[in-house]
Amino acid sequence: MTENDFNRRDFLKVLGWGGTAVALSGCGNTSIEDGKETVTSYVTLPSYVIPSISNYFNSTCAQCEAGCNIMGRVREGRVLKAEGNPNSPINRGRMCGLGLSGVQAHYNPDRVRQPLLKGEAITWDKALGVIADKLNGVKGAEVAFLTGNMSGHVQALLGNYMDELGSKNHFSYEAISPAVLRAANKKAYGVSMPRYRIDKARVVVSFGADFLGAWVSPVHFSQQYAQFRKGSRPEGRGVLVQIEPKMTLTGANADRWIGVRPGSEGVLALGIINALGKAGLAIPADVAAASKAYTPERVSGETDVTVEQIEKLAALLKERTPSLVLTGSAAEGYAHGSQNAAAIALLNRVLGNIGKTVEASASVPFPQIAPTVGNRASLVSLNDGLAAGKYKVVFSYGVNPVFSAPAALKFKDNYAKADFKVAFAQYLDETAQAADLVLPLESAMEDWATVVPEYMAAPEGAGSAGYAQMSFRQPLMDKLYPDTRGIGDILLALLKQRKADKYKEFDDFYAYLRSAVLKNKVALGGKATDDDDVFWDETLSKGFVPMKGIAGAVSAKASASDLRLPSATADQEYPLRLIPAVSASMRDGRNANEPWLQESPDPLTTIVWDSWVEINPKTAAKLGIVEGDIVEVTSRSGTIRTQAYLFPGIHPDAVSVPVGYGHEAMGRYAKGVGANVFAMLDAVFDKETGELALNETGVKISKTGQRVVIVKEEGPVGGSQAGKKKIAVQVAADKVDLSKEV
Amino acid sequence: MQHILRLFILLVGLFAGAGSYAADAAPKLTTPDDLGPQIEQPIEFPHFRHAGDAKDGGMQINCMYCHTYARRSMVAGIPPVQKCIGCHQSIESVRDKPRIQKLFEYWDAKKPIPWKKVHDLPDFVRFNHERHIQRFYFQQDRPYQEVCGYCHGNVKAMTVAQRQKPLTMGWCASCHQKDHPVSANSTETGHGPNDCFTCHK
Repeated sequence: MTENDFNRRDFLKVLGWGGTAVALSGCGNTSIEDGKETVTSYVTLPSYVIPSISNYFNSTCAQCEAGCNIMGRVREGRVLKAEGNPNSPINRGRMCGLGLSGVQAHYNPDRVRQPLLKGEAITWDKALGVIADKLNGVKGAEVAFLTGNMSGHVQALLGNYMDELGSKNHFSYEAISPAVLRAANKKAYGVSMPRYRIDKARVVVSFGADFLGAWVSPVHFSQQYAQFRKGSRPEGRGVLVQIEPKMTLTGANADRWIGVRPGSEGVLALGIINALGKAGLAIPADVAAASKAYTPERVSGETDVTVEQIEKLAALLKERTPSLVLTGSAAEGYAHGSQNAAAIALLNRVLGNIGKTVEASASVPFPQIAPTVGNRASLVSLNDGLAAGKYKVVFSYGVNPVFSAPAALKFKDNYAKADFKVAFAQYLDETAQAADLVLPLESAMEDWATVVPEYMAAPEGAGSAGYAQMSFRQPLMDKLYPDTRGIGDILLALLKQRKADKYKEFDDFYAYLRSAVLKNKVALGGKATDDDDVFWDETLSKGFVPMKGIAGAVSAKASASDLRLPSATADQEYPLRLIPAVSASMRDGRNANEPWLQESPDPLTTIVWDSWVEINPKTAAKLGIVEGDIVEVTSRSGTIRTQAYLFPGIHPDAVSVPVGYGHEAMGRYAKGVGANVFAMLDAVFDKETGELALNETGVKISKTGQRVVIVKEEGPVGGSQAGKKKIAVQVAADKVDLSKEV
Repeated sequence: MQHILRLFILLVGLFAGAGSYAADAAPKLTTPDDLGPQIEQPIEFPHFRHAGDAKDGGMQINCMYCHTYARRSMVAGIPPVQKCIGCHQSIESVRDKPRIQKLFEYWDAKKPIPWKKVHDLPDFVRFNHERHIQRFYFQQDRPYQEVCGYCHGNVKAMTVAQRQKPLTMGWCASCHQKDHPVSANSTETGHGPNDCFTCHK
């Protein structure tokens, strides 16, 4: 509007005159529009389809890696809504906002509709021909395949394809991944993803695990949390303590939120162990030795948590067992992230929670379909290979590293070094734009797949120890664009290029999937005598099948002997710690082009359609910043400009910017909305796992002199004022100290 | 000055647009208001032949044999082509008629027939066929031709259906406000729902 002199006043004038114009020309007798529209009619119709009445088909949500089982509501051949599958042990009939937005990924106007070779539309035959051409004479070691989390039969086909190519370069990358958690769990409990039992715990202490928002399997944990909070439970109503420098949705729900100094979570954990010992709990000798130096006074100084709070917390944990201590990305995103996680895991050992609220999970009996979980370290090794010119042909599927890699890695430049880049994409996102060939994918409501979730929830009761499941994703409607293909079909076509004989019996991926499932029906909950068609139909109508998993065992392996927790050091030039926030709806930004997610207010700030930087009111007062100031957040690796939001739920030494915004491509709803915080992260990695240390970036903030009115749901003083005649106490934002609340 | 010019162009455009829309939208009122326009259909479907009385050469087929969803859904539904073919593949005597040939052309091409809506209510009105059929046909046991005819008129005498009633809100209310016997053999009376949200939701 600013460069256009057609302003709001003129617009209103036109609106007024226009209204008169319509009135003058008369509306005519237009209420009944006979003979204009065509009636919905069909050539053939199954007897169960009745126009205007919905049918439900079970499928699996593809919006995040939790893999909730869903029911697609289908009417007149169109999918309208996703609901939770009530029989699912994962989500138990529930859904989240991210999952509900899945239909917008399907009906999105910005989907790629045809194969594109350097931007020009070509046919599939030509596209597959070009791939065969480019692979000709290329050694297996020179081909790389980059994906996100993978599982099920698509992964099995991918494995076969990589074998045919003679390549071992499958890189599985997730921008936001619990990689440190997996490694720490493996060390502490012997399994990388145990079952957490929030519902059995009497107190949960979570070090930055946003399990109600964006952590591992949030809908599942929300269900457990609902149980945990019931007063009628035999254990009584549970108490939740959240310890994190930036308040998450889970923190907002906690009985006590403790705004710890960023990075000092491990120190605090050892301080609590020390206090538990003083309170009379028997502490194993090695742990006692490791925590001896962490007296409440010292810990208080390093963590900004008062001695009184540490002692109260220890008393709470001692009194209420079993408890559960969780560790999430807020505690893990440091160069010493694994050490933090290990120190926190010690609490579970000391408190005797292992085996009670940290249970063993079952592993999947078929390694080809077991989940391959993504992390940042694999992107780094791909990036190094690309930089060294090792790869000539690079495939990418389901990931957008050009957007989500820190600028310091120079991924975009290195990616350009590969001779031929193929992107399997639903949108023309940053990575697809940098690719030579873009192959348009069907949406998750059009294609076939099987999904094995990494976090394996189990139904209650006997046999749950060995329970594993495989979920089915089936088309909820005919595909919208005839020239899109499912990833399974594309991989099958690529395999046929190399081994036509072996795969000739499969016309399409559906045929492959069906035959693979029917071959193993005994392992998938069927009987050898079951009729194939009946078993297949029943499987699809259930949406998932149990697998006889291999029951694991948890053990208290956590060792305290090699803990190295550095003390915080002050950074004069970049004094503030940047915490990239992972929100429940935006996540890593792959769903940013779904407008429902952009327009649903962030649960804590209620901001819509933009990025923001959360600043503690005390820090803001020092810097002279008020809400709505456009500020520059500068790190060693980059700068972003965004609006300031004063938020008492953040440590004064930290600022937070949500990730997932700031796309330069992808589509009309994502492009140009907000700022991309990934790009400005320093390339600091966790020393043990090689995972990107998300919270290790120091920043400084400067005002630009511009100011905007922030678009948000809450009123000027914040919080919900609906139905209140008079707001009882108005506490100015800079006077609130949430760590003293409750 | 530039924006005044722009304003002017916009206004002219709006007048012209609104005017032409109104001219377009107004149906050709060659019929009285409660009789809808004659609508050209892809196939001139002879309702009288299918639903008409035997004495007029009709086959007295129940409306709901073809409009099978009326009793269990909001919409009455247009039968899938398969349903037409189901009978007509074994009726050799009319196979050469142009209308039937056209039908088989659609079937062979596996294309739905683009029937035009004859009774098209505005999008802010929800009319529910099921409620009316269940009430009058199944509960009160009235003849189906009478029940369907309340709104659709004497379709059994038509070729292509034509709207017979105004289908305006006043017309709907004229029935909903009238007292009717609550069942076929009762002297007790009642009337249909008159709440706004019953139809406007």
